[in-house]
Amino acid sequence: MVKKSLVSLGALLVLFPTIAFAEDPSAGQLNMGLNALWVMLAAILVILMQGGFILLEAGSTRMKNAGHVAGKTIFTLGLASIVYWAVGYGITFGGDASESLNKFIGLGSFFFNPEIASIDNGAPSSIFFIFQLAFAAVSLSIAWGGFAERAKLSAYLIFTLFFVSVIYPVVAHWIWGGGFLAADGAQDFAGSTVVHLTGAIAALAATILLKPRIGKFNKDGSANEILGHNQVFTALSVLILWVGWFGFNAGSTIAIGDGFFGFVAFNTQLGAAAGAVAAMLISWLVNGKADITAMLNGALAGLVAITASCAFVDPWAAVVIGLVAGVLVFFSAKFFEKMKIDDPIYALSVHGAAGVWGTLANGLFATEELSAKVGVGRAGLFEGGGWEQLWVQFESVVIAGAFAFIASFIVLWVVKKAIGFRVTEEQEIVGLDLSEHGNYGYPEQMKKAGTSV
Amino acid sequence: MHNPLREKRLLDIAGAENIEQLREIRVREQNRLTMELSESSTHEVVESLNELHDALITQTLKFAENELARLGLGAPPVLYAYMLYGSGGRYEQTMYSDQDSGLVYADPSNELDKGRCQNYFPLLAETVVQYLIALEYPPCEGNVISSNPEWCLSFQGWVNKIENWFAEPSWENVRYLLIVADGRAVFGNMELAGKLQDHFYNDLLNHPIIARRMMENTLKHKMLVGVFGQLLTERYGENAGSLDIKYGAYIPMVNAFRLLATQAGIRETSTLQRIQALRLKNLLTEEEADEAYEAFSFFLKMRLLTTIMNDGKLSPEQLTKELIDLLKKALKAGKKIQRKVQRELQHRFGGR
Repeated sequence: MVKKSLVSLGALLVLFPTIAFAEDPSAGQLNMGLNALWVMLAAILVILMQGGFILLEAGSTRMKNAGHVAGKTIFTLGLASIVYWAVGYGITFGGDASESLNKFIGLGSFFFNPEIASIDNGAPSSIFFIFQLAFAAVSLSIAWGGFAERAKLSAYLIFTLFFVSVIYPVVAHWIWGGGFLAADGAQDFAGSTVVHLTGAIAALAATILLKPRIGKFNKDGSANEILGHNQVFTALSVLILWVGWFGFNAGSTIAIGDGFFGFVAFNTQLGAAAGAVAAMLISWLVNGKADITAMLNGALAGLVAITASCAFVDPWAAVVIGLVAGVLVFFSAKFFEKMKIDDPIYALSVHGAAGVWGTLANGLFATEELSAKVGVGRAGLFEGGGWEQLWVQFESVVIAGAFAFIASFIVLWVVKKAIGFRVTEEQEIVGLDLSEHGNYGYPEQMKKAGTSV
Repeated sequence: MHNPLREKRLLDIAGAENIEQLREIRVREQNRLTMELSESSTHEVVESLNELHDALITQTLKFAENELARLGLGAPPVLYAYMLYGSGGRYEQTMYSDQDSGLVYADPSNELDKGRCQNYFPLLAETVVQYLIALEYPPCEGNVISSNPEWCLSFQGWVNKIENWFAEPSWENVRYLLIVADGRAVFGNMELAGKLQDHFYNDLLNHPIIARRMMENTLKHKMLVGVFGQLLTERYGENAGSLDIKYGAYIPMVNAFRLLATQAGIRETSTLQRIQALRLKNLLTEEEADEAYEAFSFFLKMRLLTTIMNDGKLSPEQLTKELIDLLKKALKAGKKIQRKVQRELQHRFGGR
């Protein structure tokens, strides 16, 4: 009897919501609510990209490291969230620094304590925080590409502390937090430089200090192919990242507004598509075989490249940017291999090379109209804006890249000298699942393999 | 042509009394031919080398017959032919080729003979194969070898087998047909081998679809030259940067000309002879034939050079600028032929 009346009361509430809410929301409140919902949805999508990184990194590496590779992503996501809350967010967006200091670093909002609801129908700062945190976590997961299969778990822990508190937030402050590059008009809509290049440069510093994995290069300098253990994971990861990228790029409008986020999503799709197609074709033409890994990298490179430019360029340019990214990532991977730099997840090529290209592409293809709409910088070289924007883009790549490299290198160098960065040869051979965690990610398969050795 | 070296070599082999002596002759003569490789034409060296192999195998068969006689099995009960397949069948053996062989014996006329044949020939084949292993001819990994009962049959047994392969052209069976197409008798009754070939070519005419299956079986090996004319070298591993001459140049051309030749009823088994015969029948233009002949001779030479050191692959150090240019030219010629074969068969049978 009680149950029945509760059900009918519930049904009535659904049918006549005015019973529950006394007052109609104002237009401003509705506007805020829609924007908040969109940014929250985007933040969820970007956090879900961690699922993509788990599968990407695990699929591209060997079975003996799978549990470690996958699990450490969740661990560092947790650690990064706390560090970003305590320090990182304040460095990027804190408003207490003096004007001259603020050019380089933000201060304030440490141990961030957001309002419990929107104030005067402004965007809720809690949601903005989650959105920004998701980006920091993506940048961190990109850096792990350079650590894969040989770094100690403790090194992951220490690097997370420094990367999320200082290295990433400083670059983000320069371009997005009102720092000096923002003042110069550097165009990086969703973070080709801030997120991708910074992560990739950290990966580069790591892989240089760690040196290649055992068995990657022969004595005569020729490379061996260390195949990932599951190409289906890798392909699925690209799809998850691709979908998540709509949150990454289109969500970076931070508002629903006049529907501009749709245009950003549209360009994003074109860039990714062109990257996948171009990489598949170039690998086919150059190697005589259409390489799946190259194609997957091409899709990601297209996404990375269009990240900076998705709000600044026309659709045809998005296709060109994606096509170039797909070709670039293929040759970049070859280049790093030739330089004997071991890049198991192709982070340097996908996020680094394509990140640089995407940022520079603004200097070529940004249109006057869109630059004005976003309110950052001006038209690029091919759109009648002259060399100025290209120079600004170049400057932001070099400065952000150099800072990220030097800072990451110092942190990791100290780690290497103080406690050691790389696991022992024996640990690397048995796999990090066993050496760092005591259990295999694939117990049945690995134990079977172990008995035959 | 009078060639004292050659005559001495053949005399030495004919005069050898045991496998150990044959082995010494083989080592000596192959060393001599290796030296010659830099000064003589490829053609001559390949010919001399295959003549050497033929003579060694022939002498080994004589040893084996003697051995069986010594064991009390007497002389061969009926006529037989010892067949070579693979590179041996094509007169294209290198210094390190393995044994691809078979044996066909005349149909016994009565039960008594039949029993004696079933006793004698498997033992003969086994003995020959063992002797040849002692002579450092490794056995065929694919088990295409006379000591395998499947490859040691009476004439009628072979006819039935080949007909079955034609009747059921599975991937495996078509592979066998491709192997048989390169077969020739190295020792014994040539007529027997010739009659078997008659059957094969008759069946081939009656099963036109086989040509297509044969092509599909051989498509997997492509000429290692890319769209931009670049060499497609190994990308990873110990052999990174090297070019797989055997599977990326030599084998695809062998396959293409085997297909063209067998379709035209040409019974030559050597690829160079197949090219010449195709030219005589006007199935290749003079330009095509010259280009193909030159390219294939070049690959034969490269293959001889590479098998001496490196399992059919040209290492990056060997790939000099001049050599790369020659390779590109030859590979493009090979690719042209491969496309011609595909086009013609496509034309004949339509797309899939």
